[in-house]
Amino acid sequence: MTAAAYSAPLLDAAGLGKRYGGVVANDGIDIRLDKGRVLGVIGPNGAGKSTLIGLLGGAIAPSAGRIHFEGDDITALPASERARRGIGRTYQIPRPFLDMTVAENLAVGQFSLSPFISAATATAERRDILDRCGLADAADVKARDLPLLRRKRLEVARALALKPKLLLLDEVGAGLIDSEVSELIALIRSLMDGERSIIIIEHVIRIVKECCEGLVVINFGKVLTKGPTAEVLASDEVSAVYLGTSHGGTAKASPIAVPSTTDDPAPSPSATTAPVLALEGVSAGYGQARVIHDLSLSVMPGQVVGILGTNGAGKTTLAHVISRSLPVTAGSIRFAGNDITNEPAHSVAARGIAHCMEGRRIFASLSVEENLEVAARHVRAAERKLRLERVYALFPILAERRNSGGTSMSGGQQQALAIGRALMAKPRLVIFDEISLGLAPVMMDRLYEALAELKREGLTMLVVEQDVERALDLADTAHIINKGRITLSGPTSVVRADERLRHLYFGTEE
Amino acid sequence: MTVLTSQNTPQRAISIRSPTIRIVIACTAFAVLLAAPIVLPAYFVEIGFKLLIYIVLAEAWNLLAGYGGLVSLGTSSFFGLGAYVTVGLINHAGAGPLQALAASALAGIAVAIVMSRGLFRLRGLYFTVGTLALAEALRLFVINVPWFGGATGLFVTVDLPEIAALFRYATLLLALAALVMALATGSRFSVLLRAVRDDEDAAGQVGVRAFRIKLAAFIVASALIASAGGLQAIKLGAIEPYGSFGLQWSVDPLAIVIIGGLGMRFGAIVGAVLFVAIGELLADYPELHVAITGVTLILLIRFAPRGICGLAEAALRRRGAAPREARP
Repeated sequence: MTAAAYSAPLLDAAGLGKRYGGVVANDGIDIRLDKGRVLGVIGPNGAGKSTLIGLLGGAIAPSAGRIHFEGDDITALPASERARRGIGRTYQIPRPFLDMTVAENLAVGQFSLSPFISAATATAERRDILDRCGLADAADVKARDLPLLRRKRLEVARALALKPKLLLLDEVGAGLIDSEVSELIALIRSLMDGERSIIIIEHVIRIVKECCEGLVVINFGKVLTKGPTAEVLASDEVSAVYLGTSHGGTAKASPIAVPSTTDDPAPSPSATTAPVLALEGVSAGYGQARVIHDLSLSVMPGQVVGILGTNGAGKTTLAHVISRSLPVTAGSIRFAGNDITNEPAHSVAARGIAHCMEGRRIFASLSVEENLEVAARHVRAAERKLRLERVYALFPILAERRNSGGTSMSGGQQQALAIGRALMAKPRLVIFDEISLGLAPVMMDRLYEALAELKREGLTMLVVEQDVERALDLADTAHIINKGRITLSGPTSVVRADERLRHLYFGTEE
Repeated sequence: MTVLTSQNTPQRAISIRSPTIRIVIACTAFAVLLAAPIVLPAYFVEIGFKLLIYIVLAEAWNLLAGYGGLVSLGTSSFFGLGAYVTVGLINHAGAGPLQALAASALAGIAVAIVMSRGLFRLRGLYFTVGTLALAEALRLFVINVPWFGGATGLFVTVDLPEIAALFRYATLLLALAALVMALATGSRFSVLLRAVRDDEDAAGQVGVRAFRIKLAAFIVASALIASAGGLQAIKLGAIEPYGSFGLQWSVDPLAIVIIGGLGMRFGAIVGAVLFVAIGELLADYPELHVAITGVTLILLIRFAPRGICGLAEAALRRRGAAPREARP
C-alpha cells in the first residue's frame, strides 16, 4: 500500500455484499471506522447484521466488495489471519471450546498468537480478563458446564485474549437484566482506551446509547441510515423499522386482525376452581447445587402467569421442572388433576404441556414446515393442516419461509417458529422461556402481540421473562423468583405497584 | 491433565503430578522394558512386542482422534507404507533396521504432507472415509505396480534380528512415541489442537491456523505408524499387501483407544494391555475374541464413552472432590 497508511481508517469496508443463492444478506455495505472509535450496528432481526460480522471477521467470504484493515486489503484472508492481525469477534450464539476449561479457552488465542509468551504473563492476562468479564470464579470450569449467559461472557473474554485492535461484539447484551447491562457498559467503556476500535451489534438500546459514538442502521441487508447515535435513534425512519412501540414513544399500532377461530370468549381465570397446573413444595437443581427451594404455585385454566426474576434466580430451571426435563428432589407437580411428578418429559408433553425453550432449539436439518409438523406428527393430516394454517396466520413470515431450513432464518423468525412449534401440539399449557432473548424491539412487539392474541383465545400460558414490562403487560398474575424462592406473587397490578419489583430492574434485590 | 497452572491448587511436596517424578517413573519403566528380554521367556517377549506395537499405533491414533478430532481409518495405509519402505531398503539398499525404520518414518511424513491438502478439506465423517480410501488406494497400488511383488508380497532377504533385539527396537519406538505424546498433549500445542477439535471455525476466529495444527498432529502420527509398520515387517520377514494394508491395522487401534479412553493420556496403554490380553487368552477361540471385543466396545460406548481411563478418572475425582466440596 502507498502513503495512505497514515490517514487511512483502521477499517474500511466498501461495497460489501453477500448472497446465499437468491437471498441477499448484505448488499453494498460501506463501513469506515477510525482507530479508537466505537460504532453501533442496529437493525431488525434478519437485516444482515450477523452476516456483516461474519464478513468482517472472515468467517464468511464476501460475494462483492473489499475490506481494508490498517491499510491492507484483507478481503481474501481467512479468519485466522485476520484474528492474528487484530480482529477479534464474538459469536451471537456462543461457540466456546466445550471440552476445555474457561482458562484454556482464553489460552487458545494467547498461545496461537504468541506461542512463547511467558506462563506468568499469560496467566496474569487471563486473570485480568476473567476478572473484567465476571468469570474469575469459573476459570477451571469446563465451558460445557457454563449456562448460556456465562458462555456469552466467555465469548467476550476469549476475543479479548487476542488483545484485538478491532473488537466485533455480536449481541453480547442479550438476556441481561439492567444491572448486568450496566456492568457490560462499564466493561465496554474500559476497553475504549483510544487505541481499540469496537463494533457493537446490539438490540439493547441502552448499550448502544451509552457506548457508541456513531450508529449504522441496517435493514434488508442495506445501510438504511448512519450518523451520530442520538440523531439516528431520534429519526422516525429508524423507529418505524426497528425501535417499534416500546422506545419510539408512538402509540401502539392498530389492533391486529384476530382470526375468527375464537368462538367463545376467554374463560375468566377465576371462574374455574381447579388449577390446571399445581406445584407444591418443589425443590430441584443440578447435581449438588439446589436451584429451586420449596416452591409452590398454581396456574388456572386460561390464565397467563408471569415468572420474573434476575438471571440465575431459577426461572429456566422452574420451566424445565414443569416440563419434566429436570427431576425434582422434593414436592409434587399436578397437571390437570394428575400427578406428573415422576413422569418422563415425553408423556408430559403428550398430556398437553408444551415447552418453548430458551435458545429456541430449532431442528437445523428440517425445513420450517417440517419443524412445525414434528410437533403434531401423531394427529390426522386434516387436523395437522388446520393447525399449520393457524400458526401461519399468526406468523405470516413462517408461511413465506415454509420451505427454508429451520435455522436459516433470522433470530426473530426462529423464535416465531419455536412458538409456532409449541402451538402445533395444541397444548393445554405452554411455557414460554425467555422468548424475547436477543430480539429487536420491533420483533418483540410482534411476538408479544401474538401472545396477546393467544391469550384472547384462552390459551393457558406460563411466561418466563427477562423483560419485566412486557411480561406484566401480558400476564394476569406474576411471581417474582429470587434465589429459587418466590418472593412476591399476586395480580399484575399489585406486583407492578410493589417496591420489590423495582429491585428487579436495578438488580439490587437483597 | 491441564497445561495451565492454576493458582488455586496447593503444591504438594511429592506428587504424581510433579514432572520430575513422572520423568523418573517413565525412565525406570523403559529401563525395565529394555532389560525385560533377558529374563522373560520367549513367549512373553513375543506378546510384549505385539503389545508395544499396538501401544504405538494406539498412541498415534489417540493423538489424531482423541486430541485432534481427526477420526482416521487410515492407520493401515501408513503401517503398510512403513512395511514396504523398510523391506525395500533392507533388501535393496543394504540398510540396517534402524536406518530403514527412520526412512519409513520420513516416508510417512512425506505421504502425510502430500495427502493433507486433500484430506483436510474433508471434515468429520468425510475425513474418516477419505483416510479409508487412502489405505485402499495404496493397497491397490502395491498390488498392481510390478515392483512390489504383487499380491504375493516381498521377503526380507537378509538375516533377521532376534526377537529380543526387535523388542528393544519396539521399546525405543514406544519411548519416542511417549516423548512425542508428552510434548503434544502436555504443551501449549495441545491447547491449540483441542481447540481445533472442539470447534475449528471458532479456533480460526481466535487466530489458530487449523491446517498447520492438524498437519503437525498428522505428521507425528504418520511417522510413528510407519515406523511401527516397518518394525512389524522386520519381525515377520515377509510382507504382502492384504496383511500390511489390512483393515485390522486401522480398526484395532480404534478399538484399543475407545476401550482405554479417547483423548485420555493413558487410554492407549490401558486399552492395548487389555486388548492384547483378551486376544492371548482367547487365542484358541478367534470368533469369541472378536465377539468379546465387539460387546466390550458396545458396552463402553454406551456406559463409559470416555473408556476405562474415563471411569477411573471419574472415580478418583469423586473421592478427591468429596472433602473439597464440603467447603461452602
